Amino acid sequence: MFFNGKRVAPPKPLFESVQRFQRVSQSISSQSRFGELRLRAIDIAARHEEKKMSLVEEPLYPIAVLIDELKNDDIQLRLNSIRKLSTIARALGEERTRRELIPFLGENNDDDDEVLLAMAEELGVFVPFVGGVEHAHVLLPPLETLCTVEETCVRDKAGESLCRIGSQMRESDLVEYFIPLVKRLAAGEWFTARVSACGLFHIAYPSAPEMSKTELRSIYNLLCQDDMPMVRRSAASNLGKFAATVEYTHLKADTIFKHGSDQDSVRLLAVEGCAALGKLLEPQDCVTHILPVIVNFSQDKSWRVRYMVANQLYELCEAVGPEPTRTELVPAYVRLLRDNEAEVRIAAAGKVTKFCRILNPDLSIQHILPCVKELSTDSSQHVRSALASVIMGMAPVLGKDATIEQLLPIFLSLLKDEFPDVRLNIISKLDQVNQVIGIDLLSQSLLPAIVELAEDRHWRVRLAIIEYIPLLASQLGVGFFDDKLGALCMQWLQDKVHSIREAAANNLKRLAEEFGPEWAMQHIIPQILQPMTEIAQNRDCYCHNCYGKTLCHSTLRNLQRDCPMVVLYCNLAMPWPGSDDNGTGITYDARVRYPFQSKLSSVLFSVKSFFSSSNVLEMISNSHYLYRMTILHSISLLAPVMGPEITCSKLLPVVITASKDRVPNIKFNVAKVLESIFPIVDQSVVEKTIRPSLVELSEDPDVDVRFFSNQALQAIDHVMMSS
Amino acid sequence: MLKQILSKLPRKSFKSDTDESTRGDSARSSDSPRPVGKSQRPHGGSSSAAKRASSSAVFPASMVSGFEPLVPFKDVPNAEKMNLFVSKLSLCCVTFDFSDPSKSIADKDVKRKTLVELVDFVACGTMRFSEPAILALCRMCAFNLFRVFPPNYRTSGGGENDDDEPMFDPAWPHLQLVYELLLKFISSSCLDAKVAKKYIDHSFIARLLELFDSEDPRERDCLKAILHRIYGKFMVHRPYIRKTINNIFYRFVFETEKHSGIGELLEIFGSVISGFALPLKEEHKIFLWRVLVPLHKPKSIGVYFQQLSYCVMQFIEKEPKLASIVIRGLLKYWPATNSQKEVMFLGELEEILEVINMVEFQRIMVPLFWRIGCCINSLHFQVAERALFLWNNDHIVNLIAHNRSVILPIIFPALDRNVQSHWNPAVVNLTHNMRKMFLEMDEKLFISCYNHFKEEEAILISAAEKREEAWKQLEHAASLRPVIGNTAVLVS
Repeated sequence: MFFNGKRVAPPKPLFESVQRFQRVSQSISSQSRFGELRLRAIDIAARHEEKKMSLVEEPLYPIAVLIDELKNDDIQLRLNSIRKLSTIARALGEERTRRELIPFLGENNDDDDEVLLAMAEELGVFVPFVGGVEHAHVLLPPLETLCTVEETCVRDKAGESLCRIGSQMRESDLVEYFIPLVKRLAAGEWFTARVSACGLFHIAYPSAPEMSKTELRSIYNLLCQDDMPMVRRSAASNLGKFAATVEYTHLKADTIFKHGSDQDSVRLLAVEGCAALGKLLEPQDCVTHILPVIVNFSQDKSWRVRYMVANQLYELCEAVGPEPTRTELVPAYVRLLRDNEAEVRIAAAGKVTKFCRILNPDLSIQHILPCVKELSTDSSQHVRSALASVIMGMAPVLGKDATIEQLLPIFLSLLKDEFPDVRLNIISKLDQVNQVIGIDLLSQSLLPAIVELAEDRHWRVRLAIIEYIPLLASQLGVGFFDDKLGALCMQWLQDKVHSIREAAANNLKRLAEEFGPEWAMQHIIPQILQPMTEIAQNRDCYCHNCYGKTLCHSTLRNLQRDCPMVVLYCNLAMPWPGSDDNGTGITYDARVRYPFQSKLSSVLFSVKSFFSSSNVLEMISNSHYLYRMTILHSISLLAPVMGPEITCSKLLPVVITASKDRVPNIKFNVAKVLESIFPIVDQSVVEKTIRPSLVELSEDPDVDVRFFSNQALQAIDHVMMSS
Repeated sequence: MLKQILSKLPRKSFKSDTDESTRGDSARSSDSPRPVGKSQRPHGGSSSAAKRASSSAVFPASMVSGFEPLVPFKDVPNAEKMNLFVSKLSLCCVTFDFSDPSKSIADKDVKRKTLVELVDFVACGTMRFSEPAILALCRMCAFNLFRVFPPNYRTSGGGENDDDEPMFDPAWPHLQLVYELLLKFISSSCLDAKVAKKYIDHSFIARLLELFDSEDPRERDCLKAILHRIYGKFMVHRPYIRKTINNIFYRFVFETEKHSGIGELLEIFGSVISGFALPLKEEHKIFLWRVLVPLHKPKSIGVYFQQLSYCVMQFIEKEPKLASIVIRGLLKYWPATNSQKEVMFLGELEEILEVINMVEFQRIMVPLFWRIGCCINSLHFQVAERALFLWNNDHIVNLIAHNRSVILPIIFPALDRNVQSHWNPAVVNLTHNMRKMFLEMDEKLFISCYNHFKEEEAILISAAEKREEAWKQLEHAASLRPVIGNTAVLVS
């Protein structure tokens, strides 16, 4: 209704109908969407009549399409239409978008939050569709409404969009439209409006005339003291942004901190504001205004506030300069390092290196190092782990002597920590370690730690250490590696956890890259091949048809998924000469010229035989349906590799039996499998076995089984027809 | 005599007092010249070993010694009793480190015994409490109770160990006594509310309310009882208490979705609402609409659902006209993916429908039964069953029967879909029964609905096609009109 005054007489009957629709919807606003629906139907019918009678050059009514969908019961449809707002706008043209679409959206604010959220987002990028920045202000009213709704996400998004639009607007428009909007929101009756207002000041302020600036500052001050903690929190968290735009002379006067809040959630956010402000102020002002506040906060009774200070302290040190840091902030920091709440110590410990860097070595050794020593035996593993991840950075700051004398014992004790994360964090900074203490000392203490981590019962820990092995290898050199770590790398290949086996395979590849192919041929391949060829020899080999023929890439890829060793071989084999890289496949010559390829084929061979062994197929009768499902999955992967003969004789019967399973999930997976394997078997088999089974499934009581079996049948028909 | 008693008080260093004032802590220290030690955190402390405590309170090493019991109440004349009461309270301002059970065992016991004495003294209620006594008691409670809870690792640690025990404050043995004392004190007939309201003020209440976030249900129970009494006794504070609790609710709903005490706070509101005078003030209706209805949104609603729905029912019983507003709210926050929540919503709906009058019912029946239709079709059988069970309720069936010409067309498609294809036999059965009920109710209507439904189905399909066509045309039209804004083109 905002824009009523601005509307020009509309040239098209469309507009009348829209207006009528609006009148209608107002008259029934007390009724539901359903009442509207019925009336809307009448309305649309009337419009269709009009459409027939009038205007040939206007083939469709974009807004009508939108209105139609926005009134639908199906939220998905409503969302879709909002997502396509830009299409409607472009079809309408800029002028009518401004005059008709945007006002309509402004009134359509009683929808599901999800739709409103989408609308808030779309409007943020709508400037081009209303005719560029000089018209951007028409987008403000609908977003203003969205800033006052209940749902937090919608409000946040609307605020974000307003900022985005506001930052493009011309200065005069900001003064005329944006600043009044901010003031209206800030004076909003319900807290949602005021919360949203806080986030808009930094856009409005710079272009405001002097008078408004004073007013805006005082409004913000009021928001900082608002009755509702929600508003105070919002004001506190937006303070940094706003302060960055405020003139220097006003900065000191307008601070939230003077109002200290008894809610720790507000004080918490104020800490952040302090850090932001600190950066803006001259050092001496920072010392007089911010420093006392921060020192106070660092002794707050709420650990959350102290935690925040621990996180922000470093930036404040930069802001105030070295001298006040030494006198005021170092004691504060030391207190935080010795805080009795572990959470605070974690935050403080994580900043220890950064903090030391801006201090001089003497101070660090004198004040910080004793705390570090205490922290290294802290009762909380998380504190130790935070310390372990940064402690190595202290070495260059302290200098060589102090490092060897003071830091090394701490470092070694952390490396023997009972908690794996701590050890891992140290090992991950190994390159830094090496420079400081030298390889001999390192290897003595390092190896036991690594071995222990390699056998940790948490697979994530094992995974993490595997990832550092190449780094270790490069630091320690081939000789050391062969002696100590080689066996470990092989052991991981047989881990129970799939991710570990996969990582282990990749690790070997990276090692091969590190040490060169010669080394790999000598050390890795024989060790891997042994177990694999054993498997191959001990099994009945069903499949001979691949040997010496061509394997396609997709087969390889399927196999790679199931067997890490194949991954390894593929990784090793691919870059070597002789592999056929033109996309058709890898040639397996009877006279194999390259050792890797010969290994590859034998591995593939053994893998296939492994999978097709009757043991695996027996699992189809396992009592747990997930196992049966896994087997179905492997069959669909294996069939293309095995060829038609084995598929028909061994695999297909299993699948057909499974189609009689009592679990619907198995049955529709049977349908899927059948769909995937029918192209590789003979047509007669399709007609004799596969089709009857699918027909039977297509009459299943379960809707999903019917769906997938019908889909499979259709696929079969399709292929039959085209061939 | 009194001097003697006072001299036995543990003398705390004044240093910690000055520490305190620089921090601008809001503890009421300004008006007390008594040398009572602060038990709050002296951060400049030196010994670090003591700091490894897992509890969040810190204890200065200096104050563990020299803690002696005071004479029992029966040994002093009546005139001195109130002074002794104050002294004992001051003694109890000292807090101990409970994370180490072997530490200061004797002192802890002295404090426990003193607290028990105090509880007995307040309970027998023979003497009017003097102003210093009230002040001392509030101070003692503040020192003991108002603390910041330690971090909750369970919620930050990725939900893997959700069924961990809640965190219990090791100092509970003392806390419990302090709570008991406060409860007895506030409910005591010897307490003059006019005097006490100066000390049991906004700040005191606000901090008491903050404690409701405690993970310990015993603590929340104590708080609930105390707050109840405060609300009853201090009329002047009522608006403030309601406002502050509302702020907790707002924060819970719109910001954090984490708070342990929502159920208890709602329980308090349950009795507050039943005390509202009729006609309801606008303020209270806003509370229903702005607070209680949005409280249906958080996903942890299961924890406090019972209390919430009790509060809502209280409102509706007071003012039946609110029923349609509440139902509208329920429809707005209707869960989309959470079946358990959906079942709860249906339960609350039934409760409301049980008492709703015809006019209100007619106001919301169209959207309501559209939603119920969706529930009837739910693939989760509990939801479908719960929705169908609404028809077991005579009052509701009566309402439906009166308005069947509106309702049946809305839910007919849902019924038909269930009969055709619902996987759960019990649901299919119930649906059949319901169809039969409608058929018996009004055969003509049923048949016309059936015919209409068949037509509608065909229309729906063609409408979907038309819609697609319209969008295609629209997109074509849009592509003919390039955007000519003078900023960079942003095409989604």
